[in-house]
Amino acid sequence: MAVIELKNVRKAFGAVEVIGCVNLTIPDGAFVIFVGPSGSGKSTLLRLVAGLEDASAGQILIDGADVTQMGPAERQLSMVFQSYALYPTKTVRQNMSFGLEVARLPKDEIEARVDRVADILKLGDYLDRKPRALSGGQRQRVAIGRAIVREPVAFLFDEPLSNLDAALRVEMRVEIAKLHQRLGATMIYVTHDQVEAMTLADQIVVLDKGAIQQVGTPMELYQRPANLFVAQFIGSPKMNILAVQPDGAAVAFADGTRADFGAQVAQNLSHIGFRPEEVQLLDEGEGQLQGTVEVVERLGSDTFAYVALGALGTVTIRMPGNVLNIAPGQRVGLGLTLPQLHLFASDGTRLS
Amino acid sequence: MSIVGKTATSGKFRRNRWLLTGVLSLYFLYTFMPLFYVITAATKSNPDLFSTFGLWFAPDFNLWDNLHTLFTIQDGIFLKWMGNTAYYSSISAAGAALFSTFAGYAFAKYSFFGKKLMFALVLGAVMIPQTALVIPMFLMLSKLGLTNTAFAVIAPSLVFPPGVFLMRAYIDDAISNELIEAGRMDGAGEVHIFSAIAFRLLMPGFTTVLILAFVANWNNYFLPLVMLNKPDMFPITVGLAQMYSTAISGTGGVLLFTVVMTGALVSIVPVIAAFLIMQRFWQGGLGAGGVKA
Ligand SMILES: Nc1ncnc2c1ncn2[C@@H]1O[C@H](COP(=O)(O)OP(=O)(O)O)[C@@H](O)[C@H]1O
Ligand SMILES: [Mg+2]
Repeated sequence: MAVIELKNVRKAFGAVEVIGCVNLTIPDGAFVIFVGPSGSGKSTLLRLVAGLEDASAGQILIDGADVTQMGPAERQLSMVFQSYALYPTKTVRQNMSFGLEVARLPKDEIEARVDRVADILKLGDYLDRKPRALSGGQRQRVAIGRAIVREPVAFLFDEPLSNLDAALRVEMRVEIAKLHQRLGATMIYVTHDQVEAMTLADQIVVLDKGAIQQVGTPMELYQRPANLFVAQFIGSPKMNILAVQPDGAAVAFADGTRADFGAQVAQNLSHIGFRPEEVQLLDEGEGQLQGTVEVVERLGSDTFAYVALGALGTVTIRMPGNVLNIAPGQRVGLGLTLPQLHLFASDGTRLS
Repeated sequence: MSIVGKTATSGKFRRNRWLLTGVLSLYFLYTFMPLFYVITAATKSNPDLFSTFGLWFAPDFNLWDNLHTLFTIQDGIFLKWMGNTAYYSSISAAGAALFSTFAGYAFAKYSFFGKKLMFALVLGAVMIPQTALVIPMFLMLSKLGLTNTAFAVIAPSLVFPPGVFLMRAYIDDAISNELIEAGRMDGAGEVHIFSAIAFRLLMPGFTTVLILAFVANWNNYFLPLVMLNKPDMFPITVGLAQMYSTAISGTGGVLLFTVVMTGALVSIVPVIAAFLIMQRFWQGGLGAGGVKA
């Protein structure tokens, strides 16, 4: 059980700075997810915590102790790798006990721990098999089992589910969530999949270009994204973003349309955003924007309408249930209200 | 050669296939003929060797007599030579394969100062035949008083640059970085990771280098020729060559020609065996390490 702190951590490979000055505190027992597009530095940041990479600058603390100069084993962390990285020539039991043997635990203790963990992960029937004789999901379990038996102070996961097919991924996601509840240990989990992040995390750390964009609970990120990047990265379908200019008390869209929201807007406003469910579909002529329905998708639980706004592009609208009175080609109006809008300044940061 | 399974073959492909088969057959004959000559010659008596057609057997089958002579001549010195060859080449090959594996692992999995330059040197060394270095090495070792020892033949053979090159490429492929990192997370040291996790996975590569080095050393002629001058320390290559030169100078009697031929045949048997073993490893082994587990 551990609090993990990163203080002014930087990492450069040669001349290329990959992680630039990260400050972050991960509370004890939290499930924290690093999320961001590919190449944003998630794995590098995780590997810095693990001790598999040396920080170029800054400090890493576990429970207040500076571990920056320590090797991976001394930090007492476990890691689950994307490729599982099971030892191919060892059986499942040997895979799980290897770390304990290295630590010179007594034989019966090792056996007891492996049996207990195999029980939790339902691996009891496979203990004598080699990894090559296991399915993807079973290999994943072994990788997790190998992490658990060592009873580490925290768990690190690097895209552990990305090699699984969609159905298995959902199943394992639920199992990892249960595991976190059961063990109560600190977990840091890396993924590029924002759905995984939203469903699993206590805290999400959004990364882009080696810098933290925002730290918060899934709902904080969804409801109050700190900048345009987070706004567009979190949420599926994506938030609709339109470029605007302040025009007195009103705003002007790029095609010249003016909209008055009945309140003063900041003078450095440059984009407005609204989630698909934060906009109302109205009759033609009503609301602030006019457009044409291009495509309607009916999922049963929701109806999605893609509305073309001419020069402004296309926006997505989500309506609960099966909405019958819309069809492609229909002219419609869009109703936006100021409290529901996300306003962004010209540097991309959130206003209000 | 066609791909196994049902494929649509065009007329052009079929014509090309005949051409390819023809060229390959000629090549096969070209490489097999000398070997066949050795086989037939080893079964002939000395007069038959010169009086019958070279590429077919003589009416008298004389192989057993020849073998008997081979193993008894000069108090069974041939057996001594075989033992020497086996000793020099197995120690050399084991050492060369081990050093190649260590070096290949370091080149594949670690970054260190001067790595690029060092690997360039290894590549350069692949191009330089050992033969070119034998005389300087002889001068060095004779200064140290180490010529005429097994060490003089074995030590230079422990350096096997093609093995380093092969092992680097093989390890790059067969052992993922994450596997090594998993070992580090488990608290194992680098030597422990190498011996407990990596080594088993690179066995196919190791065996390949082992056998290549074994064959190279088994057939090595110039190095032992220069380093050794006591007949009872000779490997087969040097011993047979000396027997052959005795035969052409006529001093040892005409009998020696068939003995040399039989000796040549016997000496290639272990090499063929080594290749057969290696083939098994190539078929069954090389894939095993590549499976992402
Ligand atoms: N060992 C390395 N040497 C050089 N550049 C690296 C190395 N590891 C990662 N990088 C670079 O750092 C950036 C972040 O990589 P990574 O942390 O793997 O991203 P992510 O996991 O978010 O996809 C990438 O641009 C990548 O090319
Ligand atoms: Mg990554």
